[in-house]
Amino acid sequence: MAKQYKSLHPIKYFRDYLAHDIRPDGRELTKYRPVIINANSVSTAEGSAIAKVGKTTVICGIKAELCQPKTETPTQGFLIPNLELPPLCSSKFKPGPPSDQAQVATKVIADIIENSGCINLQDLCISTEKLAWCLYADLVCLDHDGSIIDACLLALFTALKTVSLPKVEYNAELDSKNLQMDERTPFKLYNVPVSTTFAILDETVLMIDPTAEEENLCTGVVTIVIKDDELCSVLKPGGSPITEEKLVDCIKQSMERAKLLGKLIDTATQETNDEIDK
Amino acid sequence: MPVDLKRINGPENTVSYKLYTPSKTFKEELKCLFKSNNKRQDGRNSLEHRKMFIKTGIVSQAKGSAYLELGNTKVIVSVFDPREIPNKTDYSQKGVLYCEFKYATFSCPQRRNFQQDSEEKQNSIILKQSLEPAVCLHEFPNFQVDIYALILENDGSSLSAAVTCACVALAHASVPMYDLVTAVTMGVVDNQILMDPTLKEQQLCEVFDETDTKSDHGIIVTSFMSTHQQISQFYQTGNINLENISKSISISTDASGDIKLLIEKCIVNHVLKGANKSNEE
Amino acid sequence: MEDVLVCIPGQRLCLCDKKHISGQGTYERQGYLYSQLAGLVKIIEKEDGVQLIEVHSTQDQGLVPQQGDLVTVQITIINQQFAKCAIKCIGDTVLSRPYRGILRKEDLRATEKDKIEVYKSVRPGDIVLARVLPITEAHTYHLTTAENELGVVTAHSEGGHQMVPISWTEMQCTKTLVKQHRKVAKVLPEKPKQIVT
Repeated sequence: MAKQYKSLHPIKYFRDYLAHDIRPDGRELTKYRPVIINANSVSTAEGSAIAKVGKTTVICGIKAELCQPKTETPTQGFLIPNLELPPLCSSKFKPGPPSDQAQVATKVIADIIENSGCINLQDLCISTEKLAWCLYADLVCLDHDGSIIDACLLALFTALKTVSLPKVEYNAELDSKNLQMDERTPFKLYNVPVSTTFAILDETVLMIDPTAEEENLCTGVVTIVIKDDELCSVLKPGGSPITEEKLVDCIKQSMERAKLLGKLIDTATQETNDEIDK
Repeated sequence: MPVDLKRINGPENTVSYKLYTPSKTFKEELKCLFKSNNKRQDGRNSLEHRKMFIKTGIVSQAKGSAYLELGNTKVIVSVFDPREIPNKTDYSQKGVLYCEFKYATFSCPQRRNFQQDSEEKQNSIILKQSLEPAVCLHEFPNFQVDIYALILENDGSSLSAAVTCACVALAHASVPMYDLVTAVTMGVVDNQILMDPTLKEQQLCEVFDETDTKSDHGIIVTSFMSTHQQISQFYQTGNINLENISKSISISTDASGDIKLLIEKCIVNHVLKGANKSNEE
Repeated sequence: MEDVLVCIPGQRLCLCDKKHISGQGTYERQGYLYSQLAGLVKIIEKEDGVQLIEVHSTQDQGLVPQQGDLVTVQITIINQQFAKCAIKCIGDTVLSRPYRGILRKEDLRATEKDKIEVYKSVRPGDIVLARVLPITEAHTYHLTTAENELGVVTAHSEGGHQMVPISWTEMQCTKTLVKQHRKVAKVLPEKPKQIVT
C-alpha cells in the first residue's frame, strides 16, 4: 500500500514522514549515512580510491602523464578533474555526452581544488617551460543516491593522497627523459577539503546528507566545504531561500562531520601505505 | 580530435610516462611467459582459470546489478527496467537489448578516452550478441532493456568477464531468460593455449610476429549456455589452426560449466535473501 | 523458510506433460519445463491432479502493461482530442519507471460519445483508474475509462485542495466548494485499496 501512495503522491508521502521528524529511510534529520573509504583499489592507476556515502558510490582513478607546461604558466603542472555520471549509476542519465549535472559537478570540484589551495601546481613541474606532470583525476559515479559532491571529494582526495610519482631525470639540452621507477616521491597535499550536503524543504526543514529521492523532492540544497576546521566554500545553487541562523547551523554540523571525515581519509590512506611498506 | 567542450580538457599532447621506461622485445616477453616450473607468471597452469568473485545488488538505483572480479580484472554491470525504444515509430514484436561496454579512463595501463573507441564499440556488440539468444525478447515487445558494463580495471579477459557479469545482473533484475550465459577467454600464442589470459598474456597473443608466420596466435571468446549446451557467441581474432580452435572450444565449454556453478550459487543466495526479507514483512 | 524450491534461469524443472503445465515464469522446450527467472517455484494444484508450475521472482518483476490490465495513471497533458498520461501502477505493482499512455476522447466514457469533452472529464494531475486497450501498432498504450468503475479517483482543485465526488460527473473542492466536471470512478467496495488520498 505504501508503495502505491509513494508513487502517486510522492511529495505528500515525504511530508508525512517529515511531520514526525523522521525521513523515509528511517534516519533523523541530523543523522548522516555511514561512510566507507577504500584506497588504492585500482592498480592500473597511479592513485585511486572508492568512497561510499550510504549507497552513493564514487570511484576515483588518477593517471599521471607527461606534457609541456603552458607558456603562460611555465612553472606549473596540471591537475584535471572530471566527473562522469554514466547511465550505469542511475536511470536519470542517458548515454551520450555528459549531462548538465555532470558538467556542473565537475566545475564545482575544479573550483574547490583551485580555491582551497590544497595542491601546489608547481610541485608538478619537472623542468620550467619544458616538462611537467599532468594528473588526470577521473571520477566515475557507480551508484547515484544523493550527496554526490561529498562522495566525490572524499574519493578524489583519498586518491590524491595515495599518488606517488616516479623521479624523472630530464636533460633539457638533449630533450632526453629517464625515469627512475623505484624512486617515487609521494604527491603533497597541503590540506584536505571535505564537504557536507544539506537539503532544504520550505525554508524550515534541514536534512543532512540527503538521498537522491530527498534531493528530488526538496526545494533546495546547500553544500558546505570545510578544510582544516575552516570554512572553505558554501555552494547554494538557487532553490528556496535560507535564513542566516539555519546556514550557521549547517556550517556547525559540517564542521563536526568534517573532523570525522578527515580522520577517515587518514586511516584509509594509512592502511594502504602500511601495506606498501611491508 | 574535436575539442570536448563538456569536460575539462588537459593540455594537448600528453604522453604516458611508461614510454620512457625500459621495455622488452616481443621475443624476450615470450620467454617470460612461463616460469621455469612450467607455471605462468601468476602461478597458474596453462589451462587454469583465475579465481572469480561475484556479488549482486551493487548499484541501488538500478533494477539489477552485479560486480565481478577475475584476478585483477574488475567489472560492474547494471541493468535497467524496460523502457520505450527512443526514436522509433514502428512496432516491433520483440524487445531489444541495448548494451554499452566501456573501459574506465584509468582502467588500462594507457589512459583511455571518455568517448567509446572502436574496441569498446565492438565489445558492446559482442556483449549484445552473447546475451540476445538467452533473453526472452518476446516478453517485452516494443521495449528495450539497457545493460551498461563498466570495466574498472582491465587485467585481461575483460570481455568474457563482462558477459558473465551481465548475465548475473540480468538474472538479478529478473529479466526472463532461457539460460545463463557464461563466457571464457582463451589466448593462443606460440602454439600454446592459455586459459583466461592476463592483460600481458592477452597482448602477446594479439601480436602478429612477422618473423614466425607458422605458429598460431590469437584470442577466442566463447559465450556458452550450459543447460542447453549451446554456444551463443563466438569471437576469434588472430590466426589459429582448426585443431587448436576446436580444442579451445571444448576446454572453454568445460570451464563455462564450472563458472556456472559459481554464479548459480550467487543467484540462489540472492533469491534466498529476497525470500527471507519478504517473509519478515 | 522450509520447503522452498529455488531455481535459476534455464534450470530444468520437470517433464512437460498433461499433468504439468507451463505457467508464468517458465517455458517449454523439447518436452521439458524450464525456469525463466531466478526465484521460487510455486506449484498450483488444479482439478484432475494437473499441476500448474510457476516461478515467481522475489523482487518486483519488470512488468509491461498488457491488454486488459487495470492501471493507475496520472494525467500529464490534455487537449481537444486526447489526454496524455503516465502509467504509474499495473494492478497492485508499482512501476519504477512510468510508461506513457494515451486516453482518447472517445474512450473516456461509454455513453453519449459524441458529447464527450476532454477537459470536462479529466484534468492534468488527476489520478485515474483505467484499463489497457488492445495493443496496436502505435507506440503508446491506448487506455479506456469507459466503465463505471473506471475514471478519476483523486483530483485537486485550482487552489490545490482535495476534491470529493458528488455525482458521477462532478467533483467538489473541500475548501472552496467549487464544482468541476470529471468522469468519476465508482469505486467498488471490495476494492477499497485502489484509492489512497
